[in-house]
Amino acid sequence: MTIPKPDLPQGTLDMLILQVVAAGPIHGYAIAQRIRQLSREVLEVRQGSLYPALHRLENRKLLDAEWKSSDTGRNAKFYTLTRKGRKQLGSEQVNWANLRDGIERIMRGGEGEPV
Amino acid sequence: MSWWRRLFRRRKLESELDAELRNHVELQVRDYVKAGLTHEEARRKAALEFGNLDLAKEECRDAGGIRWAKEFAQDCRYGVRQLLRQPGFACTAILLLTLIIGANTAIFGLVNTLILQDLPVRAPERLVELLSLYPGDPRVNSFPPDYYEYVRDNNTVFSDLIAFSGFGSAQVGRGGLETETVHGQYVVGDFFRALGVSPAIGRLIDASDDQANAAPVAVVSWTYWQNRFDLDPRILGDRILVDGSPATIVGVLPREFFGLQVGFRTDLWLPATMADERPSLGLLGRLAPGVTIEEARAEMNVLDQSRVENWARESDDPLVGEVKIDLEPARAGSATLRDQFANPLLALMALASLLLIVACTNVASMLLARGTARRHEFALRVSLGAGRFRLLRQVLTESLLLSAVGTLFGIVLAYLGAKVLVRILASGRPQVGWPGPVEIRIEPDIQILLFTAGVVLLGGLLSGLAPAWIASRTVPASSLRTGGRTGETRSQRSFGNGLVIAQVAVSLLLLSSAAAFVLHRSNLLNNDLGFQRESVLLVSLDPEPSQRDRLFHLYEELLERLKTIPGVRAATLAAPSPFSGGAASRFVEVEGFDEEPESRRRVLLAWVAPRYFETLGTPLVAGRDFQFEDRGRPRRAIVNESVARYYFGDSDPIGRHLSFEGGAELYEIIAVARDAKYLDLRQPPPRTIYMNAFQEETMFANAIALRTDLGPAAVAGAVRQAVRSVMPSVPIAAVTTLADQVDASIVPERLIATLSATFGTLGTVLAAIGMYGLLAYTVARRTNEIGIRMALGATRRDVLRMVLQGTLGLLLAGLVLGVPIAIWTRRFTSSLIADLSVGSTLPMVFAATLMTTVSLLAVSLPAYRATRVDPLHALRHE
Repeated sequence: MTIPKPDLPQGTLDMLILQVVAAGPIHGYAIAQRIRQLSREVLEVRQGSLYPALHRLENRKLLDAEWKSSDTGRNAKFYTLTRKGRKQLGSEQVNWANLRDGIERIMRGGEGEPV
Repeated sequence: MSWWRRLFRRRKLESELDAELRNHVELQVRDYVKAGLTHEEARRKAALEFGNLDLAKEECRDAGGIRWAKEFAQDCRYGVRQLLRQPGFACTAILLLTLIIGANTAIFGLVNTLILQDLPVRAPERLVELLSLYPGDPRVNSFPPDYYEYVRDNNTVFSDLIAFSGFGSAQVGRGGLETETVHGQYVVGDFFRALGVSPAIGRLIDASDDQANAAPVAVVSWTYWQNRFDLDPRILGDRILVDGSPATIVGVLPREFFGLQVGFRTDLWLPATMADERPSLGLLGRLAPGVTIEEARAEMNVLDQSRVENWARESDDPLVGEVKIDLEPARAGSATLRDQFANPLLALMALASLLLIVACTNVASMLLARGTARRHEFALRVSLGAGRFRLLRQVLTESLLLSAVGTLFGIVLAYLGAKVLVRILASGRPQVGWPGPVEIRIEPDIQILLFTAGVVLLGGLLSGLAPAWIASRTVPASSLRTGGRTGETRSQRSFGNGLVIAQVAVSLLLLSSAAAFVLHRSNLLNNDLGFQRESVLLVSLDPEPSQRDRLFHLYEELLERLKTIPGVRAATLAAPSPFSGGAASRFVEVEGFDEEPESRRRVLLAWVAPRYFETLGTPLVAGRDFQFEDRGRPRRAIVNESVARYYFGDSDPIGRHLSFEGGAELYEIIAVARDAKYLDLRQPPPRTIYMNAFQEETMFANAIALRTDLGPAAVAGAVRQAVRSVMPSVPIAAVTTLADQVDASIVPERLIATLSATFGTLGTVLAAIGMYGLLAYTVARRTNEIGIRMALGATRRDVLRMVLQGTLGLLLAGLVLGVPIAIWTRRFTSSLIADLSVGSTLPMVFAATLMTTVSLLAVSLPAYRATRVDPLHALRHE
């Protein structure tokens, strides 16, 4: 039996990508793998949304891209964070922390509280 | 990724996208194989997981901004194909856009050069020009030399006072080479330092060069350096002779610096101390930090009082007391040409933008009609999934394509047009304060390019946006159902009607302004001249001063000889010749006439030979003409009616005497001539006293005037021959006609009349084409309906009425809208052109009549076609 994988909350994919890319130059396939590994296989990014997201971030100049040969010897498109992307990631981290705290407070406090 | 990379390296981006996505699948396969799947299975699984590759690509294109580039290229290709399919439409539209872009850019080029462009000096916005205003004269920047020192030493508002003086032309020779004529300027002290101009090579004139015993130096312009010295840097240190006095070239001015008087060429710059006598000076001030032009004006008004008082003390002219000083911003250079041409050019700019509107409406209605014709196509595309915005973009791309091609031709046209404009501007006679011939260089610069781009975009959008919007609102179902023969939607119809109304209104405005300008010019040329302007040849001679004693005899012989040339009715001499721009004037004293000192005015003086009045066509109202035999007898004079009226009232002036202030001679009045203009068409005829040139001590009337039966040019050859045989040593300086000389005195009026007439004609033709197009289209569309009506018994007259009603309604609406606007704008045009007769309704009536006539002509053909509809044929169509 497969455990249903949760949907990514709207808008969080961009943040996850930025976070993964922040570690260093990385290509699309590896980004998907990293997200899966880091989330212990809880989160799965579908290719159909990964690549449009990458192109969107590149278009918004949050990511830079460069073709170089990967460890397997073939040419791949490697993404890196731009200065603007790093800034964006910083503010998204703060936002996310606030959002997560808020949601957690509601989800925990709501339990058993008298209406 | 920049936009141009998206646009032009699209293929590379596409292949990169493809490689990236394939790479992903390959890596996935590799991992699956590592995990133990067979190659086949791994490939299948990976492909399955990835999903639709093309869909992913499409989404990536969207997200990465490749899509719009792809679609833009598509739109362009498609647009070009569409336009090629209808070359007639494309050519008409491009022609229209070429005309308006060309006209607007050419005029803007002049406006930019004369009015907008900053001088290439340090902080040009702090420069102000000092202008002296003598009542009734154009203001001039010309002051006595010691006034410069006085203002420099006493003012507190200028950080620098900049002084210069034109010396017209000089003969420049160099090391035995042929001399040539150059235009030059004297500069005072640290002229260049105060302006903040640095040399291209060498050094510029500074205060130490402008000393009594300094070594004579000269600085040349870049253009002169280029034309005469081939940009040879070794000219530094070269010695030249300027009108015979030596000077050493020490530097070259930067390429962009042409001097402070825009529109005039200056080749050579010398320190003012090199002038033979101290020249009068043009003055510019640089406002001291924190000082406003109003403060400077206030202080200069106070300082200037001493100049006016000194002048008034030395002069008997009561008007000198009313001389004023004015300060004007000079960031674009001296006002010399601007004062004369700025207003006409601005008026033309306004007219050209009106023309832009008319032409854009025309292109818009053409696009609209095409949009209707293409509804089927649009409907099909909408049903195949094209977005509305996409259709909008498609149609807009087409109209911008048209504009772009129009721009290419328009720039060529603008170049030629600007040359013609400059030629008209330069055709005028020199004015007071002009240092030399007008020479305007219009160089394409960023302002002109921006302006053109603005016009193009505006043209493209104005003409394309509304049709595109309407086309994009296609409802596929209804359009497809009824096939190609659909009626137009309401919005299309009312928009098309609106376009025609706007065209009629704007064209009316164009036409009535043009008519007003043309009428103004024709009034100037024909009303109350006091002489016959046509068929008079003017030939000026340039005798050596040493010959003057013999000239009386020679001129008399020459005039006798000229009379015998076939086609010459009368010949005479005049100094100065009428409308040459020069004039002499003096105060006159009449026996028995007393006047207040304040009301004294100078009278205009002219020295003429016998038969002058016959030649010019100015009748003598009393008395008799001068004679050659008057020479050596007591002096005689002929006065015009204004003089007679003012000094003698109702009494008979003939036989009375007058003298000129400062002259001992007493002149007996022998005749009264009809009032005639002599100097300026815009002023009423001045009080004029004519004297016999043959009674003066020396002969200085060097302009021959001949009244001819044929065109004046036809006798010019014979006249030259006569001059050569009678006075072989006297060179002919110039041959012209009186009509040309008069024309040269009203260049601004001619410029605006000629161009506005062209624009008005164009606008009218465009409006007519618009109406024709609309009605032709309406008739074609309603052929079925007309057929049915006729089958049901409608007569031809009914059909005609039905077809014409709508169109004439539009015409009427256009006129009703246009007339009040035109009346309202007359105030604006009259503020631009002095003495424009705004009260006259003639231009308006003319414009409305012409507009109506042309519109009726335009609609007559389609209307006629409507009455010829064959009901059977039309119905079979159904």
